[in-house]
Amino acid sequence: MEQGVAGPQGLPRKNAVLRALQSLSPKAWVGLCLVLFAVFVACAAPWLAPHKPDAQDLLNMLLPPMWSANGNLDFPLGTDGLGQCILSRAIYGTRVAIVVAVSAATGAMLLGVVMAMLAGYFGGWVDRIIGYVVDLWMSFPPVVLSLVLMVGLGTGVVNVILAIVLVDWTRFCRVVRSDVIVVRRRQYVAAARLLGFGHWKTMWREILPAVGPLIITLFTLEMGVAVIVEAILSFVGLSVSAGTVAWGVMIADSRDYLHEAPWGMLTPVFCIFLLVLGCNALGDGLRESLDPALREREKEQG
Amino acid sequence: MLRTPLTVLLQRLLAGIPILVLLSLVVFVVLRALPSDPLGMMLPPSATRAEAQALSAALGLDKPLYVQFYIWLEKALGGDLGHSFLYQQSVVLLIAKALPVTLELVLVALCIALVISFPLALFAYSLYGKRWGVVPDTIVVVMQSIPAFLWGLLFIALFGVFFPVLPFSGQIGPDYHLPTITGFMLLDTLLLHNGPAFRDALAHMVLPACALALGFCPLVVRVLRSCLIEASREPYVMVARLRGVPARRILLRYIQKNALLPTITMIGVQFGFLFGSALLIEIIFSFPGIGSLMVSAVKSNDLPLIQGVTIVFGVLMVLINAVVDTLYVVLNPLLRDH
Repeated sequence: MEQGVAGPQGLPRKNAVLRALQSLSPKAWVGLCLVLFAVFVACAAPWLAPHKPDAQDLLNMLLPPMWSANGNLDFPLGTDGLGQCILSRAIYGTRVAIVVAVSAATGAMLLGVVMAMLAGYFGGWVDRIIGYVVDLWMSFPPVVLSLVLMVGLGTGVVNVILAIVLVDWTRFCRVVRSDVIVVRRRQYVAAARLLGFGHWKTMWREILPAVGPLIITLFTLEMGVAVIVEAILSFVGLSVSAGTVAWGVMIADSRDYLHEAPWGMLTPVFCIFLLVLGCNALGDGLRESLDPALREREKEQG
Repeated sequence: MLRTPLTVLLQRLLAGIPILVLLSLVVFVVLRALPSDPLGMMLPPSATRAEAQALSAALGLDKPLYVQFYIWLEKALGGDLGHSFLYQQSVVLLIAKALPVTLELVLVALCIALVISFPLALFAYSLYGKRWGVVPDTIVVVMQSIPAFLWGLLFIALFGVFFPVLPFSGQIGPDYHLPTITGFMLLDTLLLHNGPAFRDALAHMVLPACALALGFCPLVVRVLRSCLIEASREPYVMVARLRGVPARRILLRYIQKNALLPTITMIGVQFGFLFGSALLIEIIFSFPGIGSLMVSAVKSNDLPLIQGVTIVFGVLMVLINAVVDTLYVVLNPLLRDH
C-alpha cells in the first residue's frame, strides 16, 4: 500500500549517521571520547593492566604511587592493604562499570520506552494505570528502592542490573510518554493510520523515530546513573560477589587505609568521575544537537 | 473546585494514603517473596530444622503472605512497626532516634545548596548566549558528574587526610556526653547553652553537609537557569525593557519571581533524591541517621527494620510533596480561587 504514496524525500539514509557525527558539539565529542576510552580499557584490561587484579604482593603493601619518594615503578599508582596493584584493579573495575552501564541502561530503556509508548499512544485507562505506577515508583528515593531490591534479589552483577532496570525505567517512561503524546497528535501519524497502518506499525514506523533522539539522550544519561548506582551498591557491599573487582569495592576497601594510602580511594573516585562525566557530556551534547526544537530556539537567540 | 492552600494540603495528604499502602505492599512482597532468608542471620549454624521452624512460627513468618501483611498493616496503623531482629529493639524507637539526625543533615545541606546555586544560576543566566556562556555550562556538567558520595570521599581525602582541619567521623566528638532533647544535635547543644559542644557539632556537620549540598547544586542551577531563560522570553519582560526599566531590576524583580515557582516544585520533587544521597553520606561520615540504620538493616536482612525505614521514607516523601504543592498554591496567585 504505502509504495503508492510518494511523500517528500529526506536526505539519503546512509548519510544520517555521518551527519549526526558532524553535528556533534565539542561537548558531545569529549563525552564520546571518554566513553569509548572506557569501553576500550574494559575490553583490553588483560593487556593494559601490569598485574592480575587479585595478585597480592605482601612484601609491597600500601606502596605510594611511583612519583613519590619511595614509590615502585612496578606499581604505578601504588598498592592497597593487601599488596594489590591499584592501577590494575582500577582497569579491571572498568569492566563491571561498563557492563552494568550498558546493560542496565538498555534494560531500563526497553522497559521504559515500551511502557511510554503504550501509555502515550493508547491514552485512557492504559495511560492512567501506567502513570499511577510511575508516580508510585517515583515517590520514593531511588537509592532506597534499589537497596530494598538488592536485599530481595541477592548480590551479583546480574541482580544489580536488574535492580537498576526496575528502579530507573520510570525516568524513560515519564519523559518519553509526554513526547509520544505530542507526536501522536501530528498529522502524519493520522495520515499513516488512514493509509491502513495498524497500531503497532504506526508506533514502530512513525512514532518511535520521532522520539528516537530523546531516547538516545536519555540512554547516555542513564548510563552515567547506572555507573553511580553500581558504585554505591558495591560500596555498601551489596553489588558484586566477593572476588569481583569493582570501583565501589575498591573505595570500601581503601577506607581502612585512608591515612596510609589515600590513592587507593582517589583512583576509583576519579575513574567513576571520568566515566560519568563522559556519559553526561555526551548525553547533554546529544540533547542539544539532536533536539530540533532546542536548536531552533538557540538559533533564534543567536 | 476550591483551591485554598488548606484544601490542597489535605487533598495531597489523602492522596498519599493509598500510595503508602501500595508502597508497603510492594516492599513487603519484594522482601518476602524473593529468595532471602532472614532466619539465617538469627540462628546459629548448628540450629536444627525444628528450631528454625519454631523461630519462624514465633516471628509469624510461617503464615501466608497476605495474613502477614494484614497483621503488619494493622499494627503499623497503631504506630507499631514491629521489633528489629538485629538490634532487639522497637523499630519505632530506632527510627525516632535516627530520623532527627538525617533531617538536620538534609536541611543544613539544602540551605547550603540554595546559597551556592542561586548566584551560580544567575551567573550562568547572565552569560547565556554570550561567548563565555560555555564556562558555567562546563562547571554544571562537571559538577553533575560528581554525586554527593564522591564529594564526601574527596572531602575526606582533602580536609581529613591531606590537610587535617575538619573532623569526618560521627556527629560530635567522643568527649561530649549530652542529654538528648530534640535529637537535633545542633539545636540540642544550643538549647543546653554548651558553646564548645555546639562548635564541635558544627565542625562535624561541615563536610557531610557540604558534600550533600554540592551533589544537589547542579540540579538546582540547571532548572533555575532554564526557568530564568524561559521567563525572560515572556512579553512583559520586553515591555519592561522598552519602558526603560534597568536590566538588573528586570532580572531581580520581574524574571526571578516567575522563575522561582517551577524551581521550588523541582526542589520538592528532588527532595527524595537528597534523602537518598544522605543515606550514603551518613555511612561515609558515620552519622547515626536513618540511612546508616537502613544499610545495617539491609546487610543483615532485618525485615521489620527495612520495612519500617522504607515506610518512613515514603511518609517523608508524601509530606514533602504535599507541602511543596501547597507552597506552590500559596506563592502563585493564578492558581488560587478568587
